Amino acid sequence: MGYGYHRPSTLDEAFLLADEIPDSRFVAGGTDLLVQLRKGEPEPSALISLRGLSELRGVETSKRVRIGATVPLSDVEVNPAVADMFPALAESITKLGSRQIRNVATVGGNLCNASPAADTAPPLLIYGASVELRDARGTREVTVEDFLQGPGQTALRSGEILTAILLDPPADGTRSVFLRKGRVAMDLPISSVAALAERDGATWPRVRLAAGAVAPVPLRLRHSEAIVEGTNLDAEIRARARETAQSEISPITDLRSTEGYRQHLTGVLVERALEHLAGEVGDP
Amino acid sequence: MTIEVSFELNGFGVEVDVEAHLRLLDLLRDVLGETGTKEACGEGECGACTVLVDGRAVNSCLFPAGEVGGTAVTTIEGLTGSHGQPSFIQKAFLDHGGTQCGFCAPGMIMTTVALLAENPHPTESEIRQALTGNLCRCTGYYQVVEAIQEAARAGQVARS
Ligand SMILES: Cc1cc2nc3c(=O)[nH]c(=O)nc-3n(C[C@H](O)[C@H](O)[C@H](O)COP(=O)(O)OP(=O)(O)OC[C@H]3O[C@@H](n4cnc5c(N)ncnc54)[C@H](O)[C@@H]3O)c2cc1C
Ligand code: FES
Ligand code: FES
Repeated sequence: MGYGYHRPSTLDEAFLLADEIPDSRFVAGGTDLLVQLRKGEPEPSALISLRGLSELRGVETSKRVRIGATVPLSDVEVNPAVADMFPALAESITKLGSRQIRNVATVGGNLCNASPAADTAPPLLIYGASVELRDARGTREVTVEDFLQGPGQTALRSGEILTAILLDPPADGTRSVFLRKGRVAMDLPISSVAALAERDGATWPRVRLAAGAVAPVPLRLRHSEAIVEGTNLDAEIRARARETAQSEISPITDLRSTEGYRQHLTGVLVERALEHLAGEVGDP
Repeated sequence: MTIEVSFELNGFGVEVDVEAHLRLLDLLRDVLGETGTKEACGEGECGACTVLVDGRAVNSCLFPAGEVGGTAVTTIEGLTGSHGQPSFIQKAFLDHGGTQCGFCAPGMIMTTVALLAENPHPTESEIRQALTGNLCRCTGYYQVVEAIQEAARAGQVARS
């Protein structure tokens, strides 16, 4: 034990520190990183705190919604614009950890940690969200889907900082939902599913489905989407979507669950999520 | 590497030099000798180490000491009623058997302080929700929930 700790107050200072201190790590809420260090991950030479950076704070909801990378989850959860436009995201946060965790944990950290089970990822996938990445050379924008590359693997370059999550407001009449099942309240999900649908009269021309904890990355269920898009989302279609979803994931057996149960559960959650969207059951 | 942190602890200004890798929990217990805050899991699961930072409940075992600069921290030592008596929340925990071995109690009580500040009249389900991050291996939670319900009533009387 004995790493250093820096709390830059500008992004430029943060880039400089990351450049000057080899083997340093950025830290936001620390709820993943501090646990990993305690469990014996190689110790960094220093932590560079992102909590002093004003550019990473605040939720802007003017045209595009911009969630600062270090806004505590409990603030995102109660943001009226988020709850109104992105209810599946708000719900995924309500289900994440405990209040003590949500008071410090961040959406940026949830994505950068890149757990296959990261709870905010499936909702961000169905909403087509992007992330803003910055380093000393400039700013780039990457979709959440491209950002998440594998367990613990992201599109972040060395020294790059995720500064914000960007979301376009959904079309009027869009419905979305997030469902998750874990062993106990405060545990990562065994499987999680987010679903979104836009209605046009009796049919649903645009549907998005995503799942977490059942593949190396949280992923879009494109085959299942293709089955339900343009239909009236009736019971037969939903049952077909359940079966398709089960075939397009690649779950593993670990301490939380088995491959087979994850497969079964994900199909059930997809079917239930579609029932919610079709208005056949009340709020989850 | 040592860093200087200055913050407010239970209403008093504190300025200390600490090893940069310490957690708020270490700063409180080992550097400042405020041992009311407990460590059990050290990984954010149990809530024994819960303190308030600027009024929000956090796990001090996951909170870097370098992050408390400029904040106001409240620990179990900072809770008192009038004339040095326990606060009404502490009293409710005692009256309802909300504490047995007592190890989880400081964390449970700090969670209750944050809950009642935000929601003075919580329902039972809101109370149970708020306690998600506080584990107790003794009481079975019934008494804790009753204690918080009682504390909410007492808080109402105190305010009226
Ligand atoms: C008890 C407990 C319960 C939990 N339950 C859940 C759960 O139910 N669901 C769930 O999904 N997660 C859960 N988590 C994991 C964790 O709380 C979340 O992933 C959280 O969102 C991480 O955010 P953070 O700000 O604390 O990340 P940190 O720990 O600060 O950072 C995580 C990683 O991302 C990097 N990083 C962070 N922010 C940035 C940035 N802006 N730019 C570049 N790199 C960055 C860090 O270097 C680090 O590698 C739980 C954790 C605990 C301790
Ligand atoms: S000791 Fe901090 S949560 Fe258990
Ligand atoms: S009273 Fe013993 S752990 Fe709660």
